[in-house]
Amino acid sequence: MDFTSDISCIEQVLQGKVNAFSYLVDRHKDKAFNLAFRICGNREEAEEIAQDAFVKAYRSLKDFKMKSSFATWLYRIVYNTAISLVRSRRKGVLALEEFPADTVDFLSFNKNEDEAIDDYRNSLVNFALQKISEEERGLITLYYYNDLDTEEISKITGINKPNIKVKLFRARQRISEIIKKVENKNIFYHE
Amino acid sequence: MNKQDQYDEDLLRKFINPERIEKAPEGFTSKTLTRIQIENQSENVKNGFLIKNRVPLISAAITISLTIAAIIVPANETGSIGSAIWKYFQSIKFTLPGLKDTYFQNLNIPSWISFAIIGIFLLGFFDRALYGIFHKENNP
Repeated sequence: MDFTSDISCIEQVLQGKVNAFSYLVDRHKDKAFNLAFRICGNREEAEEIAQDAFVKAYRSLKDFKMKSSFATWLYRIVYNTAISLVRSRRKGVLALEEFPADTVDFLSFNKNEDEAIDDYRNSLVNFALQKISEEERGLITLYYYNDLDTEEISKITGINKPNIKVKLFRARQRISEIIKKVENKNIFYHE
Repeated sequence: MNKQDQYDEDLLRKFINPERIEKAPEGFTSKTLTRIQIENQSENVKNGFLIKNRVPLISAAITISLTIAAIIVPANETGSIGSAIWKYFQSIKFTLPGLKDTYFQNLNIPSWISFAIIGIFLLGFFDRALYGIFHKENNP
């Protein structure tokens, strides 16, 4: 069986071979999970969202017109599911006020400095992402982590291209401010 | 892109490592596939011909039996199965009080009205019962 491309997998699934869908899940699970996680900020919820998205995608596979890539289509489901979930539980979100001091002490736990810096940056980005809106989190993730252009992001989010540029610009500004603030406080780290 | 935006862009590119994505937990694929298979099975049961078309099937069954009954029960014939059934129904001693001048003075209400009212009550009862059964199944 040919599972080299998403389209061939989809064709196999549509012929009744459910297991062919596992190739699609394997191929896209990490980026789908990452998108859900960056938007909702919780691993358990992100897993639930990503799973829901795959199940929804499977159920609607026969309606998939192949006008966009399977990834774009899947990310749209993940994005919408995650945004709805965050909006429904907005009152319960507890964003950290300060970047926790213990999370910056990575150098003592890691073997090499590169890993420590990578961990530190990742935590700081996660912290900053929690300070912006769920929509902006989604845009930043799709742009920087999933490496998509504004055209693709527009298809996923349903926001028009100029608006995406404006929102990305603002989100970038906010994250940059937060990073600079934390960096100025924690003088232990210098490149 | 102005200077400040370029600076922000560079800073984010420095801090965000696309390789450093949060990976799906162990067993994610198998869990997802299991969920799909379970949902598929319950979907197949739900989509079974009899289950899916139960309401029109019950309606059709009732309509057909009533039509057959109407055909096989002749008006004044004797000797057939239809007339036997008809006779049986006729033999049931079932009377309803005539409403004419009994409860409502000066009102001339035909006696079939009482049958119609009882019929409406019975249909209402069946309607509620069927609604209860199907509604319960649709919303567990």
